[in-house]
Amino acid sequence: MSAVKPDSRRKFLRQSATAAAGASLFHIVPSTVFGSQDRPAPSDRLNIGHIGLGGRGRRFLRPAISATDRVLQDPNLGGRGERYLRPSQSIALCDVDSNRLDEAASKIGGKPRLYKDFRRLLEQRDIDAVFIASPDHWHALMTIMACQAGKDVFVEKPACNTIEEGRAMVVAAERYGRVVQVGSQGRSQDAAWHACKYVRNGQVGTVRKVTCWHYENPLGDWTPNAEPPPHLDYDAWLGPAQWVPYNERRTHGRFRWMLDFGGGQIRDRGAHVMSIAMWIMNQDHTGPVKVTATGDPYPDGMYDSPRNMTVTYEFKNPDWTLLWAQPGETPPELPAKYGAKYWGDNGSVVVTYGDGQPTDTEDKAKRYQVPCGGVEVYRSPGHAEDFEDCIKTRNKPIMHIEAGHRVASLCILGNIAYALGRPLEWDPVSERVRDDEEANRLLSRPGRGQWHL
Amino acid sequence: MTEKEQKFLADLKHTDANVRMAAWRQADQMDAAVVPELATLLTAEEPGVRKAAGEALERLVHSVGKSAGGQKRGAIVKELLGLLTEKRPAAARIEALRMLSLIGGAEVVPSVAPLLAEPPLREEAAFCLERIPEAAAIEALLAGLKQAPDDFKPRLLAALGHRRAEAATEACAAAMGSANLEVAMAAMKALARIGVKPKAEPQLPNMLAMSDWQRIEFADSLLRYADAQLQRKNYEDSLRIYRLLLTQREEHLQCAALISLSKAGVPEAAAAIYPRLSSENNTVRITAEKAWAAMQKAAQPKA
Repeated sequence: MSAVKPDSRRKFLRQSATAAAGASLFHIVPSTVFGSQDRPAPSDRLNIGHIGLGGRGRRFLRPAISATDRVLQDPNLGGRGERYLRPSQSIALCDVDSNRLDEAASKIGGKPRLYKDFRRLLEQRDIDAVFIASPDHWHALMTIMACQAGKDVFVEKPACNTIEEGRAMVVAAERYGRVVQVGSQGRSQDAAWHACKYVRNGQVGTVRKVTCWHYENPLGDWTPNAEPPPHLDYDAWLGPAQWVPYNERRTHGRFRWMLDFGGGQIRDRGAHVMSIAMWIMNQDHTGPVKVTATGDPYPDGMYDSPRNMTVTYEFKNPDWTLLWAQPGETPPELPAKYGAKYWGDNGSVVVTYGDGQPTDTEDKAKRYQVPCGGVEVYRSPGHAEDFEDCIKTRNKPIMHIEAGHRVASLCILGNIAYALGRPLEWDPVSERVRDDEEANRLLSRPGRGQWHL
Repeated sequence: MTEKEQKFLADLKHTDANVRMAAWRQADQMDAAVVPELATLLTAEEPGVRKAAGEALERLVHSVGKSAGGQKRGAIVKELLGLLTEKRPAAARIEALRMLSLIGGAEVVPSVAPLLAEPPLREEAAFCLERIPEAAAIEALLAGLKQAPDDFKPRLLAALGHRRAEAATEACAAAMGSANLEVAMAAMKALARIGVKPKAEPQLPNMLAMSDWQRIEFADSLLRYADAQLQRKNYEDSLRIYRLLLTQREEHLQCAALISLSKAGVPEAAAAIYPRLSSENNTVRITAEKAWAAMQKAAQPKA
C-alpha cells in the first residue's frame, strides 16, 4: 500500500533533520518528519499483522485466499455464520519463537513478512490492524505501542496484568482514536445477548447476586530450569516481566498458571465469564468497592496459582455481589464446566462459558422478545465482525478497552486479595486501594530493560 | 529464635509437602528473625523446599505490608536489608530487593542505591527504587543517572519517567542532548511523561539517525508532552504541537491532535479542527466530527 520509495524518504528526512538541527524542541519540527506517506484509510481489504502465533494467535490468521474469496469467521469468535468477513489478508507475522513463526507462515500461504521483533511489524505502514495473542504480560505494552503506530488492535484477554497497564491502554486508545477490541468474545455470542436482554428487561427482577463457577487450577510438577531452546528468544519472551530462569513450564501456554505471568483460571476464564457479567449488569465503567478472597494453594509443584479460590466482589449503586468460585456450584438448570448464574428477586438465569466452548443460556431467555419500549441491547454480528465494523465506523467495539480493563481489574484484584490474605477496599474511580500501601504498590509493576509503560 | 520458629523452619524442610505447606501458611505469625534462614532455603536443592521458603517469605512480608511503620515491619525490613550483602547468593539478594519493593520506605534507599552500580543487580535495584514512593528513591535514581554508563541510563530515565518525577525534569532535558541516541530518546520519553516544561529548551535527538520506531516514539513523546502542557493550561506550546501534528500525513497523528484539541476549549482549537470536518480521509473526518461534537458539548453551559 505504501508507495513511498525508501530512498526518497531517507532523503526527505535528511533534509528535515538538517533544517531542524539546533532548533528548540517542540517549536520547530518540520512537517512530515514522522513519515512521508499517507496510509489509505481501511476501505475494502484489510491488511492484518499478527503478534503472537501460539494456539490462540493462529486462529486469527487470514489465509492468502481471504483477500479475494469470501470467508466466514471462526465460529469460536461468536459469529452467527450469517455474514462474510471483509476481504483481508495476514500480511505480516511476528513471534519470538521461530518455530511458531514458520508454522504460521506455512499455514496461511502467500508471502507474509516475518518478524521476531514486533516493533518492526508495527513500523509497516500498510498494516491496518493487528491481532495480539502474546502471553498476558505483553498485552499492555504491545497494545499501547500499536496505538502509537496508528494500528487498530484486537488484543486477547485478559487485557492486562496490572491496573496501571489497563488504564494506560485505555489512555493510549483514546489518545490516538484507535479501535481496541479485547478478545472476550462471549458478548458477541447470541446466548449472552439473549440473557442480557432478559435480565436488563427485568425478567428475573432486580439482580443482587451473580455467582460464577469454574473448575480448579491445575497442579504443575517440577521441571528443572534449563537453557532456552535455540528457536526461542527468551529475553524477548520475558520482555517487561521480572527475570526468572527459563523453564518450559513457564512459557507458551503454561505461563497462565504462574501468578506473575498468567494468574490462573480467574484471569484466563474469569475474563470471559465475568466479562458477560459486567455487560449484563451494565457495569463496564466501574468496579467493586470491596474485594475479599480466600483460597488453597497446592502443597508442591511449580505453579503458584491457588488450587481453589473464592472471591467476593461487592458493588455499590446499584448494590450487588459478584462471586468467583473455583470450583463453586454447577447449577442444575444448565450444567457446564463454567459459567455464571444471575440471581434476581423474581427468578434467575444461567449463562455458560463465554469463550470457545458452546455458550448457552436457558430457553426462557432465548424465547424472550423485547416489548415495545423495552431495553434494546446491541447484537454483535460476531467478535471479529464487530471489530471490523468499528474499524470503518470508528465506534467503540462491544468489548472495548475500558470494558476489558475493568474486567481484568476484577481478576487482578482477586489475585492481589488472595496473595495478601486480606480484603481490599477498592475505589473504582481513582482505581486505588484504600488504606493499604502494599496493595497499591501491587497495582503497577516497573518494567524491565527497555520495556516500560 | 523461639521453639515455635525453630519448628516452623524444620517443617519447611520436611519431606512431606503437606507439612511444608502447613508451615508456610503460618509464616505470618513468625518473627522477623526467621528471614535469614528463609533466604538460605531459597537456594535449597529440593525444589519443594525452595517453594516453601519463597511462599513463607512472601506471606511474612505481606503480613506487615498494609500500612507503613510498625515494629515488626521495621524488623523485617532490617533483616531483608541484611540479605543484600555480597555474601548472599544472587537469588537471595534478588528476592530481598523484590520484597523490599513492596514494603520498603526511605530507610532502605541508602542500602539499595549502591546496587545501581553493580551490573548483576542494577536492574533489580532500579525496579526496587522505582516502586518505593518516597522522594528519597527519586533522588537515588537521579544520582544513579549521573554515574551510570550509557547502556544503563535509559533504564533509569524510564524509571524517572514512569514515576512522573518532576525533580528529574532538568536532568532529562540535559540528557536529551546526549550524543548517544538511545539515551537521548529515553530522556525525551521520560520528559514527555513527566510533562513539566524545562527551564531551557532542550536539544532535539538526532532525527537523521532515528530508526522508524524511534520516529514513532518521537511523535508519541511530542503528543504526551503537548497533552501535559494542555493540562497545565500552557496553550501556546500545546496548540503549536497539535497544529504540527495536524500537518502530518499519518492519519493517527492527525486524529490524536484532533482529540486533544477538542479538550482545549479555546477558539484556536476550534479553528484547527474545523477544516478536518471535510477531510477526504474517513477516519480523520469521523474523528474531527467527534472532536467537534465533544467540544460543543463541553462549551454548553452546565444546568
